Order: sequence, then structure tokens, then C-alpha cells
Amino acid sequence: MAKLTSQTVKAMAQELYGYELTDEAAAAVANAAGAMVTHSRRLGSLDLSGVQPPFGYPTLLAEAERIRKRG
Amino acid sequence: MANLSQLLDFDVAALSQKLRAREISPVELTQAYLDRIEAVDERLVAYITVTADLARETARKAEAEITAGRWRGPFHGVPIGLKDLCYTKGILTTGGSKILGEFVPKYDATVWTRLSEAGAVLLGKLNLHEFAYGATTNNPHWGTCHNPYDLNRIPGGSSGGSAAAIVARTAAATIGTDTGGSIRIPAACCGCVGLKQTWSRVSRYGVMPLSDSLDHAGPITRSVRDAALMLNIIAGYDPNDATSSREPVPDYTSRLGGDLKGMRAGVIRELNTGVSEPVSRAFNAALKQLGALGAAVEEVSIPSFAEGSLVTMVVLMAEALEFHEQWMRERPDDYGADVRALIETSMTITAVNYVRAQRERNLILAEALGALANHAVLLAPTLATVAPRIDDSGYDMIANMVRFTGPFNATGQPVLSIPTGLSNEGLPLSMQIIGKPFDEATVLRAADAYERARGPLPTPKL
Repeated sequence: MAKLTSQTVKAMAQELYGYELTDEAAAAVANAAGAMVTHSRRLGSLDLSGVQPPFGYPTLLAEAERIRKRG
Repeated sequence: MANLSQLLDFDVAALSQKLRAREISPVELTQAYLDRIEAVDERLVAYITVTADLARETARKAEAEITAGRWRGPFHGVPIGLKDLCYTKGILTTGGSKILGEFVPKYDATVWTRLSEAGAVLLGKLNLHEFAYGATTNNPHWGTCHNPYDLNRIPGGSSGGSAAAIVARTAAATIGTDTGGSIRIPAACCGCVGLKQTWSRVSRYGVMPLSDSLDHAGPITRSVRDAALMLNIIAGYDPNDATSSREPVPDYTSRLGGDLKGMRAGVIRELNTGVSEPVSRAFNAALKQLGALGAAVEEVSIPSFAEGSLVTMVVLMAEALEFHEQWMRERPDDYGADVRALIETSMTITAVNYVRAQRERNLILAEALGALANHAVLLAPTLATVAPRIDDSGYDMIANMVRFTGPFNATGQPVLSIPTGLSNEGLPLSMQIIGKPFDEATVLRAADAYERARGPLPTPKL
């Protein structure tokens, strides 16, 4: 499993979100984040070439129209 | 009968009439283009691959079919080029990169399948900014592409080769792609027409992605009518691209040729700030011209557009990172320095920001639809300045270049960039005409009327 340190996690939380983690919480997050990184490596090994993400222009258009009418 | 050098000046609309009437031969026309490429492309570097033998063979077939009375339509026998981001079966397709420097696809992009079935002749694959990730076409792997109006300036990007070839008369029409402005920026820098139609209107199957939810493939052409003719062929649902739209495809040429009486056009206040004097002067003159054609031109405000290009950049960078992540781990040194830096910068974009940017697209489009409820089209300059010099193309300049184009990738609306004249230095200036989603016909109608009133631009001396 990929390893992240508590210090790295604390620094990322502070830099990206302005969020202070306790040492105890950072250790727990580092452990969980390590599992996430391992999982994302598995995702990275999938062959997704030519597979479109589930994004549709009709959805964007319909939601924008709804917001416009709502005012 | 036109001589061979005159042939190169004709747009597709004019060429197709002469080809159909057998006043000119596809074989002679193709050879004239190949000779022109041979004569000027060493200085221009618009092509990565020239498919001369294939072009001659296709032209001979087109000639035989036309002679036998089997005319396939306006692109039959017309020599074109494709941005080297579009897959072509059996033909090198590099994406402008070193990483794919020997990649030969096993199938064609749908845009090329459709143009090929329409009888188009492929001259070759056109230079671009590496992986379409940039706005200069200063390509470290395949050569810096130059602006036909001033070889010391960029042609814009990422579809720089596609626009340079149109203006330098080394292709009659080309395909570009646009994720943050990559059709419109080079069209503006080089002085030709670039159309980014509604997102999903044209299949992206076989077009190397930069950012899936923002990418478009579309026409770069010599005239508005040519853009309409090309859109007629490439638009429409494609079972190989689940995101392609099933909206009916009209004949995009059917509303060309008239004036603009009764049309209301809105000038977007937020996209008409901080522009250079030549851009402002030409844009204002174009607005007057539109008024003279019968349009009611007035200012509109779309506040979210002021930051619209940032929303596009967050989405673009996050999605581009997803595509490049494995190569970045395995072959980072094979990227050009600027593209590598952009991908590394993408690593700072959080999932939260990405999702919020995607949701913000709804708000931006809602504001745009509000402005379009009372206006048939919206107007804005394409760029704030003329084409920058090749040695003056740092990150700040690129961010400035997408300022007016980027918002429309977030909204997915149709936008056409059209030249508004030349500056005192002899460099092209342009404006964008923006429409309602899937209303390319109105955008083309307005652009065509303006183009006829404006008259032809002086061609560059190469």
C-alpha cells in the first residue's frame, strides 16, 4: 500500500483547504489516503481509452435553462 | 479557365462548382496544392506529414467519378488537411508529440470518415501545439509553426497548422479542435474563419482528447460558406461517440446570402475590456457594419463571463491530467517544457474545485441564455491583441489569449471567429459571433452577411 506521512497530509490540508488537522487525525487520514492512492493506481491501470465520462450536454443545457427561468 | 495559382485562391464553394462542371481537374488542383506545400511549408511548418501519394491517388479516383457523373457533393475532389490530433487509419498521427511520434491508428476519426466519404482529398496532417495543450504552436518536437502574415509571429494554437495552411494556400479547408479557443485563436491570428459549433454537434470519435467535456472538432476555412459546407458533412449523431447529439442537422447554407434586418445582436461588455487599440478600432467598425446591414447592436452584460475562462481552465486542466497522468509518471522528459509545466500545475487542482467548476458551467450558461433570450447573437473580440511574436509567448500571454474564447467552451455554445480586417502592421484582427446552443445557422447567417460586406482581406506575401 502507498504510504503518506502525517506531515504531508497536514500540509496538504492546510495548503489546499486552510484546514488544521490534529496529529491523531492526520495519522488516520494518512492511512486512509494511502489506501486511496493505491486504489487510484488501480484505476490508472484500467484501459479507459475511448470511453467517455458520464457527462452530457443535454444535462448542462437543461440545468442552465432551469436556473435561467428561476431567475 | 483559371490558371493554377488562381485555383489556390478559390474557396471550397467556388472550387466545387468548377470541379463539378469539370472546368478544373481534381488531379491538377491537388498537384497545385502539393506544389504550393513544397514551395512554402519549409518556412511555415504547417504540416507534420504530407500524404502526397495518397492525395494524388484519391484525386485520380475523384476525377474518374466526377467524369462518370457520380459527383458526391461540395467536397468531392477538394484538397484538405487535418489537425494531427485526428486519427487516420494507417497514417502517422502524432498529436504533435514525441510520445506518439510513431503512432499509426487502426481506424479513422469520424470527422475524417465523413469528409473522406464526401470525396475530400487528404493532403496531410497539420502541425499543432503539443497534444493541443497550448495556444502558440511553438512545437518543440515537429517544429515551430509560423504566421503567414509575419513569419516572426505565432499562428496561434493549438490548431496553428490548420489556420496557417488555409491562409498560406496550402489547403482549401482544414479541421481543427477547440478546448479553450484552439480553433478560434489561430483563425484570429492568421485571418481566416474558425467555427466551434455547439458541444456534441460533431463527433469526437478518434480525436485525441485534451479535455473530454470541453473538446470540439470543427472547421477552419477561407469563407463562412465553406464552414457551413463542412459542418453539413461532419455534424450529426455518431454511434461511436455516445456524447454526440441526436438533434436534427439542418442545411447550414440555407440561410446564407441575406441581410440582417430584424436581428438583435448583443456586445458582451465583460469580453470587451483591456483590448488593444487596433482590435478595438476594427471591432467597433465591424459593429457599425453589422448595424448598416440591418442588425440592432447594443451592449449586454454577462457578469460571470469575466471569470468564465478560469472555469474552463480548471475543468480543462483536471481532465487533461487524467489523460496524461500515466505518461507523466513514465515519460515526463518526453514532454515539451511548457506542456509538462501545465500538466504539473494541473496536479494542484482538487476534486472539489473540479466538481464546482463543472457545476458553475450551469450558472454561466444560464446567464448567457438570459442574454440570448432577447438577442439572436452575441459579439466579442476573439483576441485582445494581434498575434504575438514567437519569442514573446510566455504563460501570461497564453492566459490572456483564452480570456475571450474560454468561456464558450464552458457553455458549449456555437461561436464563429471571423476576421475584421488588418492592423496598420498588416496583421489580422477578428471578432466572435456567438449563438444559442444548436443555432449555428443564425451564427453563420450573421457572419456571412458581415463577410460579404467587409470584402476580401489582402493575402499574405510568402
